[in-house]
Amino acid sequence: MIPLSWYLILSAALFSIGLFGVLSRRNAVAILLGIELMLNAVNINLVSFWRYGDVSMMAGQVFAIIVFAVAASEVAVGLALVISVYRSRNTVIADEIDLMKW
Amino acid sequence: MFTSTTFLSILPETLILILGVILLIVEPFWKVKDPSSGGDEQRRNAGWLTAGGLFAVLVISVLVGRPGDPTSTFGSSIRFDWLGFFFKMLFIFGAGITALLLMDHEKVGRRGEAYMLLLASTIGMCLMASAADLITLYLAIETTSIPLYVLAGFMLTDEHSTEAGFKYLLFGAMTSAIMLYGFSLLYGFTGTTNLYALADAFKSGQLAAPVMFGLIVLIVVGLGFKVSVVPFHFWAPDVYEGAPTPVSGFLSTASKAAGFAVIARLFLVVFHDVAVDWAAVFAILSAVTMTVGNLLALPQKNLKRMLAYSSIAHAGYAMIGIVAVSKLGITSVVFYLLAYIVTNLAAFGIVMTVGRVTGSDEYDAYRGLSRRSPWLALVMLAAFLSLAGMPPFGGFIAKVLVFAAGIQANYIWLVVIGILNSIVGLYYYLNVLKYVYLFRMEKEDEEAHPIAVTRPYAIALVVLVLGIILLGTVFAPWFGFSNAAAMNLF
Amino acid sequence: MTPDLIAFFVLALIAIAAALGMLLGRNVVYSALFLVLNFGTVAVFYILLDAPFIALTQVSVYAGAIMVLFLFVIMLLGTETLPVSKALPWQRPLAFVLALILAGEAGYLLFFRKVTSGTIPQPVQTFGSPQAVGQALFNQYLLPFEVTSVLLLIAMVGAIVLTIKEKGGQGK
Repeated sequence: MIPLSWYLILSAALFSIGLFGVLSRRNAVAILLGIELMLNAVNINLVSFWRYGDVSMMAGQVFAIIVFAVAASEVAVGLALVISVYRSRNTVIADEIDLMKW
Repeated sequence: MFTSTTFLSILPETLILILGVILLIVEPFWKVKDPSSGGDEQRRNAGWLTAGGLFAVLVISVLVGRPGDPTSTFGSSIRFDWLGFFFKMLFIFGAGITALLLMDHEKVGRRGEAYMLLLASTIGMCLMASAADLITLYLAIETTSIPLYVLAGFMLTDEHSTEAGFKYLLFGAMTSAIMLYGFSLLYGFTGTTNLYALADAFKSGQLAAPVMFGLIVLIVVGLGFKVSVVPFHFWAPDVYEGAPTPVSGFLSTASKAAGFAVIARLFLVVFHDVAVDWAAVFAILSAVTMTVGNLLALPQKNLKRMLAYSSIAHAGYAMIGIVAVSKLGITSVVFYLLAYIVTNLAAFGIVMTVGRVTGSDEYDAYRGLSRRSPWLALVMLAAFLSLAGMPPFGGFIAKVLVFAAGIQANYIWLVVIGILNSIVGLYYYLNVLKYVYLFRMEKEDEEAHPIAVTRPYAIALVVLVLGIILLGTVFAPWFGFSNAAAMNLF
Repeated sequence: MTPDLIAFFVLALIAIAAALGMLLGRNVVYSALFLVLNFGTVAVFYILLDAPFIALTQVSVYAGAIMVLFLFVIMLLGTETLPVSKALPWQRPLAFVLALILAGEAGYLLFFRKVTSGTIPQPVQTFGSPQAVGQALFNQYLLPFEVTSVLLLIAMVGAIVLTIKEKGGQGK
């Protein structure tokens, strides 16, 4: 059987790639893609922890399902905001969203 | 499984949900195509319904839904205790006032969806305050945030607003994903998602200190974003400036208080036994947050931006109470948030009232306000002096309590930094009042430019000012409630 | 090497390669398609982990609904033609350092955990089945489940509010 830590390392790798994408990509849609990858990595953690822990406690799987729902709503709202920014500015490059100073 | 306590424990949330559904059903019938036939007046009904409904929920909950001994309901998903209850009432109050302030906002107030989003966010906050399970907690945090992303970007024709919403979403989604990663490790290392079971797992000391520290860092990223603690504060000024003013007010008060409710429960229940580890980190965060917030507020010329930085600084003050890790500490945090919500909502209410007439949030727009509208200027005086922590207003008692908790816990250096920061704060709050009371409009014809205060604003501001004064003078009962809330954590 | 391990390695390689492809793809459409590949391989991991319901949800919700939504928006806005803009000089290194710290921290956390030996429970009939998930959802986790419905309703309202064209010619 595959050791638990391998799954966790895989998930950590995917999570870091996602985070790097969020921080380094310029394109707003690409940033949202990075966030999806991060949530996906968390789900690998949750399901593998469930499998290698007490399997009669379904917390891990339930948590994963809740994360699906949250990811779906976040994407729906996020893409809607992308569209509304695009309509008012005609751009989806996050860097160009700099009307206001830091 | 279901007893009357089960239903009482989610009574406020249920009532708000019912209110939201009624709103969604009724609102389309109020829309009148032709604005000349009093259509505007009818559409404001949605606002009145929301505000009135929320105050009804508040009254019903206080009369019927008071908690007894702390109990866990819904398979230990939520905890029914005074801490959660007190915060819930605070959020509902804040949302009610926000609904009043939204009502005469030109672009937002006439749309029923805005109120629906406000109600959904309030449901999320109520669940945040009472969540006793990582799953419920994460879901509650997202239920709070997602409607707020939409509300911040609600003004579709305003570039600032859509960008504010988008920026808020990007930062929010990223930090909550990092926090979620922390939650998943927390679950994995202990095998449970229940906060109180987690606390037991930590008592047995099964985790090494470096692991603990890593987990806490991941979780602090997400919660630090919610309460806008430096270095997770970048979003706040832009979002507050771009979002519709009442929404900024809601973000800086209720949303921040919800973050603190979670921090209080999570860190004092789950991580209580490793308090020495995180208290020092929080002390540094608190000191940096106060200082950065206040120093950046100094050069501002836009009132909304200034209030954004000042709200960052206030998160720093409130954090002192958490750092203290004591009953007095939590009592002071709860009281501080109560005073802060009332005061800051009043400040944003004034920005809304004045901005609606002058169309600007710059300091210059406030020249001669004391002559244009003496009553409004008085409200502003009360709100800003309370923010600065002057007696006899609520902000004074709140600051004294927080500092007292800090001294009791032997964080003298932190309290000294806090007091020095209060002096800096006093300077920039008085600077705004200088524009209001001493400066005059260009042509010195203030009487020709009165500021109309519509009825919803008048009601909101009167309630808030009474609250500010009441908190600063008759503070014993409020202190009692805060104390009862804090007792549930120990 | 058991077939299990070989499958894990091959899939892990594909998943990480796809994630890197998403990260480095110059065109957002490629990034999105790489992410679909990543989600697909992750679904196979869930089957390896005896969580068929999660695997199915992963394919239908993530790889299906969410990514299709992404592609729709990309096509709608025509961003596939947008070039990658110049990055700020300091942001990429900073992002790299941050991600590295996180990866290091995660690795560090994991090494403090005793590596589990082969004593994990073997699958039984109802183990991890949709039935078990449903029973958990509707008993212990009833409240979060109900709150999800509020969240989805609000996301729907929000998405409509943000993309509707205002009457009276205000919207573009």
